[in-house]
Amino acid sequence: MSARAHVARAAGRALSGLAASPVTTGVATFTLALCLLLGGAFALLLVNMERVLAHFGQEVRVSAYLSDALTPEAHEQLAAAARQLPGVESVALVSKQAALERFRASPFGRASLLDGLDDNPLPASLEIVLAPAQRSRAGVDALVQRLGKRVGIDELGYGHEWVEGYARAVAGVRGIALALGAVLALATLLIVSNTIRLSVYARRDEIEILALVGAGRAFVATPFLLEGLLQGAAGGALALAALALGFHAATASYASGLALLLGSAQPVFFDVTQALGLVALGAALGGLGSAFAVLRART
Amino acid sequence: MRGFGAEPAPPGAGGLVRLYHVSKAYQAGSWALRDVSLELSKGDLAFVTGPSGAGKSTLMRLVFAAERPSEGQILVLGSNLGRLGVSGIARLRRRIGVVFQDFKLLHGRTVEDNVGVALEVMGVPGRERNARVFAMLKRVGLSHRRHQHPLSLSGGEQQRLALARALVNDPEVLLADEPTGNLDPDLTLEIMDLIASAATRGTAVFVATHDHALVEHYGRRRLRLEGGRLIEDLRVGGR
Repeated sequence: MSARAHVARAAGRALSGLAASPVTTGVATFTLALCLLLGGAFALLLVNMERVLAHFGQEVRVSAYLSDALTPEAHEQLAAAARQLPGVESVALVSKQAALERFRASPFGRASLLDGLDDNPLPASLEIVLAPAQRSRAGVDALVQRLGKRVGIDELGYGHEWVEGYARAVAGVRGIALALGAVLALATLLIVSNTIRLSVYARRDEIEILALVGAGRAFVATPFLLEGLLQGAAGGALALAALALGFHAATASYASGLALLLGSAQPVFFDVTQALGLVALGAALGGLGSAFAVLRART
Repeated sequence: MRGFGAEPAPPGAGGLVRLYHVSKAYQAGSWALRDVSLELSKGDLAFVTGPSGAGKSTLMRLVFAAERPSEGQILVLGSNLGRLGVSGIARLRRRIGVVFQDFKLLHGRTVEDNVGVALEVMGVPGRERNARVFAMLKRVGLSHRRHQHPLSLSGGEQQRLALARALVNDPEVLLADEPTGNLDPDLTLEIMDLIASAATRGTAVFVATHDHALVEHYGRRRLRLEGGRLIEDLRVGGR
């Protein structure tokens, strides 16, 4: 029999097996869906927390106040030079006029303070955002050292406390995510493998009979592997649908609370690749769980 | 063919199944089979008799490698079972037909699938498989039931189905553990005729039974076990 015919027969046996034990199939699929729902919810939380962290990371910046003696063209040249520095993500040039308008519009600005002055006292500046990898005290210090040597920069502004707080928050969130993720992954694997082992155990007679008539390992295991893949993919799809419903319900119901928590960062759902990844993860878990369970049952 | 009282058949070359001083203990000191040596050749129809617990089923299970002997060597179709791995045992079983006392049918599958699975594991293509399955079901009188499931069959039909699965791959060795256990006399003869015809075609057949009338009627060779020991190995008369 060709490999294709073997797989086709195995797929047929897998579908018959699923149809023959609807309760066991349903319980296994539902358990997989539940585990993947928990894992998926955690992953969704992580995706959004990373976005929030990235958003706050934009605030890790260095302001370089430029000399009034320089021409606007010289300001542009300094901005271009700053963009070439290592560890710099972006540079925005804020002209004297723009700085004045920003001050007037700011809730802390007092337009009246500037009324008696003939000239605009605010300097032009470069607002330099660091690349994500450089958003630490060391990264800021290195950039400040490089900028300090430039002619035309009068003063540099940066907040060490903010930078350190941000770095601590990132490390803390990622550490907690890693620990929780590891515990969740282990629990999911255990639950899934035990659930599938139960469904394989329910059909141990079939496995025994196939072995007694001379079925090889692949012949016995392939349909169970395919069943596991199908159950896992179905569980993943169910979990994805439940997550999508939950996400849209939560963002609609708690829009103002989320805005307060996340600032201007909008909560996002999985993109297509991530969504397919959840379904594929379900299929992989189901397939692996089945393969291990059936090989254990045979031995 | 020799009559009752002929000398025991000695082990020799050319046997399809050979046991050399085989013992089996499931628990230390409690022997299910003790120092059994015998040989079964092409076309042999051997009845294994003895009281319950004599070791008949253990002998069968050892020959199709469901158990490993505690002592001794077993050669089946030229393979030393002690040296076969999982794949080797699977390949060997494709050349052996087994009728189990409890039938061991796949209740979730149809009658024809139950028979076809023995050919499927051998890689027989679909069209040929279907033709052979149909022919075998016709031989055992179950072709009209081929789309039904085993649980809808009577006990006798299930027994015939188990026999059809065991015979469909033209096995070189056939093992039948109480194949007529719960059948009425007519069905018993029907089943036994099928088994005897396999031996006539060259299959080496072991039949474990309590039924002495069967041995009298069909027996060509009688192996008597008691307390795990082979106490008699006779070539006898029969049909």
